[in-house]
Amino acid sequence: MLKNIGGINYDCYPLTPAQLLNLALIKDGATHEVENIGAGQYLQLDLNMAALREALNRAVERCESMRLRLWKDPDTGEMWQYVVPYQNEYFEYYDFSGWKDEKIKDVLNKWTSQPFDTFGGKLSRIVIITLPDGYNGFYYNVHHACMDSSSVIAFTRDVIEIYCSLMFDMPYPKPMASYIESVKKDMAYEGSKKQKKDEEYWRKQYALPEPLYTDYTGPGRLMELRRKNNNPDQKWGLLSSADGKGNTITYELDVDSTMKIMEFAKKYDLPVSAIILHGIRTVLAKFNGGAEDVVISDLVSRRSTLNNKKCGGVRMHCFPLRTIMPLDTTVLESMRLIKKTQDEIFIHSEYPPLQCFGELAQAHGAPPEATYASVDFTYQPGTLAAIGETLRGINFKSWWYSSGKQPKPMYITAMHRPSDGGLNFYFGYQTACATPEEIEFLYYFTGRVLFRSIENPDKTLQEIIDMT
Amino acid sequence: MLDKLKELICQYVEVNPDDITLESRFIEDLGFNSYDIMCMLGDAETEFDVEIDEEEIMKCKTVGDLLDYFGGQKNG
Repeated sequence: MLKNIGGINYDCYPLTPAQLLNLALIKDGATHEVENIGAGQYLQLDLNMAALREALNRAVERCESMRLRLWKDPDTGEMWQYVVPYQNEYFEYYDFSGWKDEKIKDVLNKWTSQPFDTFGGKLSRIVIITLPDGYNGFYYNVHHACMDSSSVIAFTRDVIEIYCSLMFDMPYPKPMASYIESVKKDMAYEGSKKQKKDEEYWRKQYALPEPLYTDYTGPGRLMELRRKNNNPDQKWGLLSSADGKGNTITYELDVDSTMKIMEFAKKYDLPVSAIILHGIRTVLAKFNGGAEDVVISDLVSRRSTLNNKKCGGVRMHCFPLRTIMPLDTTVLESMRLIKKTQDEIFIHSEYPPLQCFGELAQAHGAPPEATYASVDFTYQPGTLAAIGETLRGINFKSWWYSSGKQPKPMYITAMHRPSDGGLNFYFGYQTACATPEEIEFLYYFTGRVLFRSIENPDKTLQEIIDMT
Repeated sequence: MLDKLKELICQYVEVNPDDITLESRFIEDLGFNSYDIMCMLGDAETEFDVEIDEEEIMKCKTVGDLLDYFGGQKNG
């Protein structure tokens, strides 16, 4: 729809369910920097600054969602999005070569904590950076309504491939896909046959008996809520932070241990995500008195087609991944049930996630802010490692910076390191909902459960819980 | 029907349509992962106007398996 914004007519489109999911987090989290993604990508190489500027400009020109703006109609309050035409930009440059790593991180975290004016202007900032030890590259901060971690990786890859093409006579990368076309496809979902089928699927899930909230710190929070509400049978939990203050703790799994997971996945024809989810799920069961009914919020990238992989934007949806397993279920049965449930979610993942969580709560008479999942999980399969392959032996560092806010109480991301392919586990947490000690505990037990499970795929969940 | 399915497959993986045969396995030969397969099947359901049984469809490992399944659905 054509809208006149600041005296210029733009083709405007409604926000997608994935964007609305993100903006709902701002409302809950109160401040807009909760929506910032800060990342730094650095090569141990003397970069040609003019070529890097050119590569960055070309990548922004090719990526519509890096030029995305949001607009709220002052008369109706409706939210819209539009893409502004590309304009060549002279990116800022900072030289941190004589600085200590911690001090640099402090500065870049501070930049990442600067909120964008969500409905008023540009939603990204790029800075060219020199780090100590000969690393050069760029930092960027972008609003989560424009990009998610998959698009950050795709954009980074595009910049690096354009740079390599300009400098080393490597092939010029294929064009990015259109973000606006992906929005149009999302719009066509409304009222479609597919929507009807997805709705049927999710309604069947709501009709099951009420799930049980299983907290990553054990049953204490649910017990407290039951006492407070004078309802000993209450099954829903509440977990959120008013100010969204948060942090990220990163754990690096060594390459050998990562390989054990990958080889197990291959041997038993299981996705890596189902194996890790089995680890988290079993720990939640262990911490909650051997709970048989566990829900984890599973994030789905929705980047299955070639176009979706290269269209930028934010496409991530999340859904309740619920599995009910008696404790005599074996490890392999558990992983296979998780895979099966995940497969079903994948098929029905176009459904608007806010609607799904709202309908689930409503179906069980719980308040809209109620939750049955204490943990959000996503696995990024090897995309950053692919950049490492492109660079063929050039050392590459990729850092994620914190805005000091977190959108979710406990958000675990598993992602492969570009340097050696080992898995990094990022625990993004809200400080009102978890302490570093609780996260250490959660990671420690997840690791123990994972590797005991891989070594003993025929043991039962009870046996794994007892062994750990 | 095979041509239509080839067209759909090529939206998901970088493969030459001529290289897709009835014997092509989705994961080993065409490079699908389990997420891509499930999404492609969701699209195929609309494209071919068939009802997919999620348990049954997961047994389809090759292009031929899937076409047989869709054929059975249409005839059934």
